[in-house]
Amino acid sequence: MSAIEMLNPEACECHSPQEQRIFDEQKGKKDKYYDTHARVFDLIAKFEGQTPVIDVERALYFTQSMKKTEGQPLVLRWAKALMHIARNMTVEVEDGQLLLGRAGAKIGRYGILYPELDGDFLDIAVRDLPTREQSPATISPEDAKIVMEEIAPYWKGKTYHEALNKALPEWVHKLTYVDDEGLISRFVVNETSSFRSSIQWVHDYEKVLKRGFNGIKAEAEARLAALDPASPVDQADKRPFLEAVVIVSDAIILWARRYAAKAREVAALTTDPVRKAELLNMARIAEKVPAEPADNFYEAVQSQWFVQMFSRIEQKTGTTISNGRMDQYFYPYYKKDMEAGVLTEEKAMELLECMWVGMAEFIDMYISPQGGAFNEGYAHWEAVTIGGQTKDGVDATNELTHLFLRSKREFPLHYPDLAARVHALSPDEYLWDVAETIKYGSGFPKLCNDEEVVPLYASKGGTFEEALDYAVSGCTETRMPNRDTYTSGGAYTNFAAALEMALRQGKMKKYGDEQLGIATPDPRTFKTWDDMWNAYKAQQELFLRATFTQQYIVTKVRAEHFAQPMGSALHDLCMKHCLDLHTRLIPEGANFGYFEFMGFGTVIDSLAAIKKLVFEEKRITMDQLLEAMDHNWVGYEAIQQLVKSCPCYGNDDPYADEIGKAIDRICVEFAQKYSPEMGINNDVRYVPFTSHVPFGKVVSATPNGRTEWFPLSDGSSASHGADVNGPTAILLSNYKTKNYGLRNRAARLLNIKFTPKSVEGDSGTEKLVQFIRTWCDLKLWHLQFNVLNQETLLAAQKDPQKYRNLIVRVAGYSAYFVDLSPDLQNDLIARTDHDDL
Amino acid sequence: MSTFDDRKTTGVVFNIQKYSVHDGPGIRTIVFTKGCPLSCRWCSNPESQSLRPQMAFNPGRCISPAKCDFCIPSCPYGSIRAENGALSIDCSRCAECESIACAAACPAQSLIVYGKSRTVEDVLRVVAQDSIFYSRSGGGMTISGGEPLLQKEFALALLREARRRRIKTAVETCGCVPWETLEEAAPYLNNILFDVKHPDTERHRWGTGVGNELILSNLKKLLENFPDKPVLVRTPVIPGFNDDMETARAIGRLLRGYANVSYEALPYHRLGTQKYMFLGREYPMGEVSLPAGVAGRFQAVVDEERGADRSL
Repeated sequence: MSAIEMLNPEACECHSPQEQRIFDEQKGKKDKYYDTHARVFDLIAKFEGQTPVIDVERALYFTQSMKKTEGQPLVLRWAKALMHIARNMTVEVEDGQLLLGRAGAKIGRYGILYPELDGDFLDIAVRDLPTREQSPATISPEDAKIVMEEIAPYWKGKTYHEALNKALPEWVHKLTYVDDEGLISRFVVNETSSFRSSIQWVHDYEKVLKRGFNGIKAEAEARLAALDPASPVDQADKRPFLEAVVIVSDAIILWARRYAAKAREVAALTTDPVRKAELLNMARIAEKVPAEPADNFYEAVQSQWFVQMFSRIEQKTGTTISNGRMDQYFYPYYKKDMEAGVLTEEKAMELLECMWVGMAEFIDMYISPQGGAFNEGYAHWEAVTIGGQTKDGVDATNELTHLFLRSKREFPLHYPDLAARVHALSPDEYLWDVAETIKYGSGFPKLCNDEEVVPLYASKGGTFEEALDYAVSGCTETRMPNRDTYTSGGAYTNFAAALEMALRQGKMKKYGDEQLGIATPDPRTFKTWDDMWNAYKAQQELFLRATFTQQYIVTKVRAEHFAQPMGSALHDLCMKHCLDLHTRLIPEGANFGYFEFMGFGTVIDSLAAIKKLVFEEKRITMDQLLEAMDHNWVGYEAIQQLVKSCPCYGNDDPYADEIGKAIDRICVEFAQKYSPEMGINNDVRYVPFTSHVPFGKVVSATPNGRTEWFPLSDGSSASHGADVNGPTAILLSNYKTKNYGLRNRAARLLNIKFTPKSVEGDSGTEKLVQFIRTWCDLKLWHLQFNVLNQETLLAAQKDPQKYRNLIVRVAGYSAYFVDLSPDLQNDLIARTDHDDL
Repeated sequence: MSTFDDRKTTGVVFNIQKYSVHDGPGIRTIVFTKGCPLSCRWCSNPESQSLRPQMAFNPGRCISPAKCDFCIPSCPYGSIRAENGALSIDCSRCAECESIACAAACPAQSLIVYGKSRTVEDVLRVVAQDSIFYSRSGGGMTISGGEPLLQKEFALALLREARRRRIKTAVETCGCVPWETLEEAAPYLNNILFDVKHPDTERHRWGTGVGNELILSNLKKLLENFPDKPVLVRTPVIPGFNDDMETARAIGRLLRGYANVSYEALPYHRLGTQKYMFLGREYPMGEVSLPAGVAGRFQAVVDEERGADRSL
């Protein structure tokens, strides 16, 4: 299998490049927060810059157990496999750490394997991993041998990916994969369900803090005792589920207690009395939680951490398992300890940051090339949600909310992925703290809008209480942890390819003569804009048909391959109905699925240029345009500039935005019509991670002046450098391309760049707060800022076309950054450096 | 004037810039108008000085005549030619050109026209697009230039009509306009940003081309006749012109005793240099720069002298 060649993406601000930068900066430089955070800085120093190591224990013990349990109900097999892992996995206590629990034996940065996902090509992947360009990893020769001989062979012919590949009808398969084996993505209507066991997810962690796994186990045992011995459903379906809950509860308790024993063992060998006492305290706590309810802040944090890490062992949840509303479920413990005077802010923050360190050591490893390309650079979104409203609909912020923000400013790595909920009545105290953190923390936290999410979720099947209690999950999605039941990865659909097919009669330059789409007429014969629009619409509808049929099959095949007994034990509906969370349809559940719209800005700008230049102003003919694109604009630079000067999405220009709204509407109407029969909300979403890069690699030149194979536009952001009217226009274009009358929409990711100068000082913070409040008024889903640093400005200097949108704001003066001479740009960059940001 | 008349009034505008955050309270849109009675050596908007639309050429954006020649046939005077692979433009007749068709023909925004006649209605349509940001931030429209009050009828119509539409307004003025204009505009303004460049008239004349008598008398009248109007006095701190602390003290003394005044020293920058080149002009300031920290000290001295409590 060929590794997918990657361009360097700059549009989706995932954490990793910034993380890398900070790693680098730290070399040889003492951080100003070192003295107050010495423990976590010392922990980080041990693994910073390390290439992650693959740890095979999880995969090995999982496989060993699965070999022995063939034929049994899947949920039971999974529970037994987890017990086998809990019993045998090496437990280590890390020097200086205050928390116990790792998903692998290897100290430092590590990733683990999930052969049930990619076992069919794991052997090849393991061979290539150390040398691949994106997200490399090392593996010892002994471990590689274990993979090749003991793990991979068992899974050949048994993985979900192989089953899906066989199940797709030919017309869907050819838009999904290039080859018969389904190993090479087409990047047209891509499936994403085979490189993770589940899409992003949030557990109801509070359940464990309050009841402990002994409480959950007791419930399962009572239910088992009450089963009707004569009922076939009770005996054949419910019994194995409940037995799995008992086993998995025992497994995590056993695993924690093995850590406790290990901590005592290490304590016995420790001479330093301070560390010795720490270790003995850690052992005491791990003997208690997560078996029993937590009674104080430390126990609550440790209990959550065990659950989170065991969840990572249980399955590969897309984007890493999210953490839910931490400032809510930890708060009672925090308040109690603070009031009793047994905890300080510093101590609480140190415990949380020990958790952030543990997160930073765990690498969400993608073995498949698709997965690697979608989530470039060890991307991770273990969202920690703060702020928002209570179940009662009043503001939920508390002292702990502010402590999370302070930690985000002072902790040197971009862990966790902090998500701040914002609502109409979010207090100024909170929003100012959020804005200050954004300024000092390279753009974090990201923001999620209650005014969009809560009514939408209430209308899609949550109660108002559940909707108000949502948690951010993954990159931009949100969950109601006891109501949501949908776990299948959704299609990533490349609508820029649909546009290309509308101009090439259903073919793509990349794939030669292959008739992939509908054979729409030769565009040279189009007489009116309507002809063009109808050709595009025909291709878009074909893609939607493929997207939905693919997803329906995905949901049917997955339930036969995946189970998650622990995740199910924490879900009210799974427990009530004795069904694993991977079951296709769970009664009373809300299935919030989505498909990804790839290339929104690219498609809008291209259609706007054709409409204006070819059909309205008639400045160029379709033939000229197609010829220029065929030559990738080389020798046709005048036409390229002409199309680039047309109205673009992201400028609050109704000409472009009306096209965007029409395209969005086709999607939401399709979802409205066909979602019900599938039993899911397969809604349109605009959140590409880094995948707009590989999807761009299959699309030739587009009529917006984009050159062939260049990245597509990202999420609901404008095309590269096309948004030249500033951040207010970007928000308004987003607003004006949404179809608020229909509910079949999911998240929209929106990144906005700011120069440090524009948010300088208290007045800058105030304006940032005002900007955030307006975003909230506009009911946009997500917002993340990127406060540009000097390096980005230097990059802008080198690649001015991409940064046409970089706005310079100096009193009484206007210009775009790239119109400035290099000399003046340096001037501005130097000024930025003085901003003390 | 009725709203119907005001909406139709036209003026020459060269830019409408959204998300401006250094030109009055909140998030604002600046309407830049053409024409200025001053010609400051450091002017960062040289394209604003003339009242008329002007042609300019940014060679850096030109694709080269070998690849693109839309502009050549578009010029009614035949003044654009390709020479040695580059454009050669004879600008001697641009001043009398009504169409400036070359800029419309150019796909690369290399040939630019600074300034366009626009109605109040058209300008406010653009300004109103961001109204939700104004209501959240206390922002609004700032008219700037050039000297925005130079196109008096247009400025007044724009301010009146904005007031009717409940858009808050501010002006950035050099103060060098007849007092009557300022007096007439003030009631329609929520904020006034007023430049004081030098307290000494001869130095002022050296730097800006005109003396400061009218400016200082307008400032005094404004502060005294409109004691409730918030006025922000600003000084661009220019190396070799006014960057000494004696000047700062003199400016501070001018402002002493007025409750409605705040003050801001703006550090010199060279960000307008490029536009001089586009217009075929020399940048009068050359390579000088303002050392770091000078503007901050200037601000502190002015504030001390005028008796401002900086803790507020």
